[in-house]
Amino acid sequence: MAVDNKKIDEIISRYEKTEESLLAILQDFQREFRYVPEEGMKRLGEVLNVSESKIYAMGTFYKALSLEPRGKHTVKVCMGTACHLKGSGQILETIERDFKVKRNHTTKDMLFTLESVNCVGACAMAPVVVVDEDYSGHARPSKITDLLKKYK
Amino acid sequence: MEKIAVTINGRICEGIRDQSVLSLAMENGIYIPALCYHPEVASSGGSCRVCLVEAHQGGSMRIVTSCNYPVREGLEIKTDTELVKKIRKGILELLMARVPDSDVIREMAAKDGITETRFFKDEEADSRGKCIACSVCTLVCEEVVGVCAISMLNRSREKSPGTPYHKASNACIGCGACAYACPTGAISMVDTGDKRIIWDKEFRMVKCSVCGAPYIPEAQVDWIVKTTGKDRSFFDKCPSHR
Repeated sequence: MAVDNKKIDEIISRYEKTEESLLAILQDFQREFRYVPEEGMKRLGEVLNVSESKIYAMGTFYKALSLEPRGKHTVKVCMGTACHLKGSGQILETIERDFKVKRNHTTKDMLFTLESVNCVGACAMAPVVVVDEDYSGHARPSKITDLLKKYK
Repeated sequence: MEKIAVTINGRICEGIRDQSVLSLAMENGIYIPALCYHPEVASSGGSCRVCLVEAHQGGSMRIVTSCNYPVREGLEIKTDTELVKKIRKGILELLMARVPDSDVIREMAAKDGITETRFFKDEEADSRGKCIACSVCTLVCEEVVGVCAISMLNRSREKSPGTPYHKASNACIGCGACAYACPTGAISMVDTGDKRIIWDKEFRMVKCSVCGAPYIPEAQVDWIVKTTGKDRSFFDKCPSHR
């Protein structure tokens, strides 16, 4: 995905030019581009006069920020204790195999980003898979594969 | 500066209020093993946990990291009690499992009579090399050198120092301060002839006009000239021929 430099400058201009604005701007990058682009971090370093390595370190630290483009849909497979015991590992492996994607990575067609998370707070319906904002409880590998095939 | 009396292992030592227990012990020739503390880096320390000691004050005792525990009047420090030894054994064994390649840690453990670790190494142990992720390198780069070319990237088990985007950094001046300061020698710096390679970046070295030995990267000269206003000709000769 090509990144629009004008958009980058527009996002930066929303905030005060201080180091405190860093995270907010990175979050806006994430929302706008579905990842934090290198061009954005470079520009941000110049404008705020913060070293690039600090900005990059921040980008790697927060899980909400991604340094590689994310897919259109985010698939979160819960690996919390309850889900783990109910076999969420198999669900994760099935998705990895069927959609040719590794956990915490994105499919080639940029449709799905697969994430393993550590409890989504819905243990009663374990194992749980969350696609974007939709929760699927009592998930089974085959059911989830069918569900994901409906997404475009 | 307020002078105070602190007892370390039964010996009365005179220190300055707020200096660290470890620095006072060093001044008095009392050995406390430590990895992540560097006397030239103000905010270093507190991460490797090797320098734990017993701190007695006001009738209570706490186990503290001596590298960043400030001394106070009447403080009593014990560095080699059974409790300290027991906890340090656990920490050294964990470090041995974390970075099995590190000879520094192995030797430090051997001094305490530890040769084996009870813990098994995790999957990342090999990719970690000798790094214990103590941040001394990044602190030196930011606070002492002032270029901030490297930072601690990622977190928890994957935390490690690195340049932005894992590419050669524009900010790096090749001074090698990070490699010198690293307690475990985890940072690779290779000097071959008039070239130095560090953090995947190649630097041309300035040669001494007297002995001809390459001794400082050109980028570092540029940086010193820019920040201190020192005359460039000063760097024609290496320190031993000035």
